[in-house]
Amino acid sequence: MKRLYRNGRIATDSSSEPLKCDVLIEDVRIIGVAETIESVDGCEVIDCSGSVIVPALFDLNVHIRELGREDREDITSCSEAAINGGFTGMVLQSDTNPAIDTGSAVQGVLDTCRDKSRIWQGVYTAGAITKGGSGEELAAIAAMKSKGAVFLSEAGDPVINPQLLRRAMEYARQFDLPVATHGEVKELSGKGSMHEGAYSYSLGLQGIPAISEEIGIARDVRLAEFCGVHLHVQQVSTREGMSTVLRAKERGIRVTCEVSPHHLIFNHSHIGNYDTHYKVNPPLRTEEDSVALLEGLRNGWIDVVACDHSPRTEFEKNQDFASAPFGVTGLETALPSLHHHFIKPGHFGWDVIVNRYSTGPRKFLSIPPVTIKEGHLAEFVVFNPNATVRFAREYLRSKSINTPFLNQTLSGQVERVIFRGAELLVR
Amino acid sequence: MKPRKDLLDIASLTDEEIEFVLSNAVPFKDLFKRSVKKVPTLRGRSVLTLFYEPSTRTRSSFEVAANRLSADVTNFDVESSSVVKGESVVDTVETLEAMRVDYIVVRHKQSGTPNLIARSTRASVINAGDGWHAHPTQALLDAFTLREKLKDIRGARVVIVGDIQHSRVARSTSLLLRRLGAQVAYLAPGSLMPRDLPPDVTTFHSWDDVLTNFRPDVVYLLRVQMERQGEQFFPSLGEYHKLFGLTDARLQVLRERKLWLMHPGPVNRGVEITDAGMNYERSLINEQVENGIAVRMSVLYWLRPGAE
Repeated sequence: MKRLYRNGRIATDSSSEPLKCDVLIEDVRIIGVAETIESVDGCEVIDCSGSVIVPALFDLNVHIRELGREDREDITSCSEAAINGGFTGMVLQSDTNPAIDTGSAVQGVLDTCRDKSRIWQGVYTAGAITKGGSGEELAAIAAMKSKGAVFLSEAGDPVINPQLLRRAMEYARQFDLPVATHGEVKELSGKGSMHEGAYSYSLGLQGIPAISEEIGIARDVRLAEFCGVHLHVQQVSTREGMSTVLRAKERGIRVTCEVSPHHLIFNHSHIGNYDTHYKVNPPLRTEEDSVALLEGLRNGWIDVVACDHSPRTEFEKNQDFASAPFGVTGLETALPSLHHHFIKPGHFGWDVIVNRYSTGPRKFLSIPPVTIKEGHLAEFVVFNPNATVRFAREYLRSKSINTPFLNQTLSGQVERVIFRGAELLVR
Repeated sequence: MKPRKDLLDIASLTDEEIEFVLSNAVPFKDLFKRSVKKVPTLRGRSVLTLFYEPSTRTRSSFEVAANRLSADVTNFDVESSSVVKGESVVDTVETLEAMRVDYIVVRHKQSGTPNLIARSTRASVINAGDGWHAHPTQALLDAFTLREKLKDIRGARVVIVGDIQHSRVARSTSLLLRRLGAQVAYLAPGSLMPRDLPPDVTTFHSWDDVLTNFRPDVVYLLRVQMERQGEQFFPSLGEYHKLFGLTDARLQVLRERKLWLMHPGPVNRGVEITDAGMNYERSLINEQVENGIAVRMSVLYWLRPGAE
């Protein structure tokens, strides 16, 4: 079975503008990429005029909720949300209930994915740093590694005790497991629910100061340097936090970091009238921070984009701002929102998407990037920049709708998702 | 003037609305001198007070105001209701909605709760204090009180003293007085002074400095607590009193300069104020209480359930 994607333009890691190309696939693989490919008998032809063919995306930071909170999300709904947004791979975070903190838990979640996910070959899992994510005892690091955990992470929480984190890093290093942390000093964040600044003051909400993140990242970077482990800083939200990572890189420390679409697009002013769809941790910072993060993403100081997909029920989010939980969903909105806010106005090109949201995350895990070249697996997205998308309830495949983009219309739509040759989504 | 459903904060009020509430409070206050203090304005209307934080003073003030307008007043007893069994605010409001009350007066420890309630009911919601966010009727009664004494608030110099960081009174009263043309300064210990204040507010850390360099007409004291949720903001109440309290020596300066003294109540005697301060002849504390009723009557008269 052959399929020809004709008249599209291919996004690559080296050009901000996509290049006109036809792509021919047979079964699971790409068998031809050229400016013009003639159709052959029995070949299905798909007209991609005006569309961009993007190597499928990969997200390093997805909160799955199965086991424990399947009312928010389960493996099937999360995978379908991923496909709906143009992702064919992701790393699940360890904060399920019970947590993914043993070899059998890693095995269990991967087995469930095999049964319930259409992209299971692209789904990986992180393992907790401490048992139950409680910050008290080391989790079964070797056993998790042997069953396939790709890095260690305490999901959205910092490891409060630096000695325990040091031991985890020393131990993880011998297995060459990266350690991902959320840079935060809990005592400085207190019960804060948004960035500490002029808006938290006028809304009368306790703030989470920028120094909570800055000092947290600085501590973790220094520990990682001391232990010689690869540190991945999750969800950088401040200019100073990013600078700390950059300075560490310049000193040759093995450190990478990620930024979310929402921290690039929104800032604390968007919370407006206590809209809990803008309550995230780390919190939305200042406009200056967002601008700095955007610059960092363009310059490669930030290694990857990751959306921190965190489903919450409508009931959970429909509370006063301080009581509502942190988190937004992101898999379905990430690519259209980055297109709408950055690619279309010319802030960055398609190479940034390919490098930071497709190749970069896979490189971090040492898995082969999905490249649109002859002989590679056919794993790409047909994205129509001229269409619009409205994130209505019916459009979203996630069980949860806690996204600031709910009912917003953005420019650009994921029209097809091809995974190992199969069309998982045709809109 | 467009009819308005809710009073949630000062920031969203128009100048016209502020003037409407303040000027209509004047005839309502005149009623208090009569032997019959009641008017039939809200006859047949129902007012429900929903206080998630205890506050006898504010609650009573709203009750008296509603009674004098002939409304039917009900207290929703949060303590003995299903709220303590874990019912959410939104669930409670659905129940109230079914009861078809016309006005809900709400106080809650979390900022923004009145906004949340207002979105889910057709009743008029009046914020009687939410977290650190807003206390709009307090601000209106403060402005009303100062207008009575100063005739015009424009150019008046008001220093607010105490826990600025955690005070909804400081936020709302300061905002309203500044909108009416006053100059506002804050005097507080560094640990209770927010870092990101509006640019038109000056900050001070000592009485000498504020009295010499700001030269206030009005001193507005806030209630001070040493600890909040287990977090300590200054070493002791004694030290607070010495550095930031209205000591008898400082009271003497107020007396010499004929400065007005205000406090939203309830006071901590011996902390922010002394016994002598309570008896100060230019203290407006009791007038604030009386004016509170007139201003709250004016607010109830102004709001329109179901508007917008």
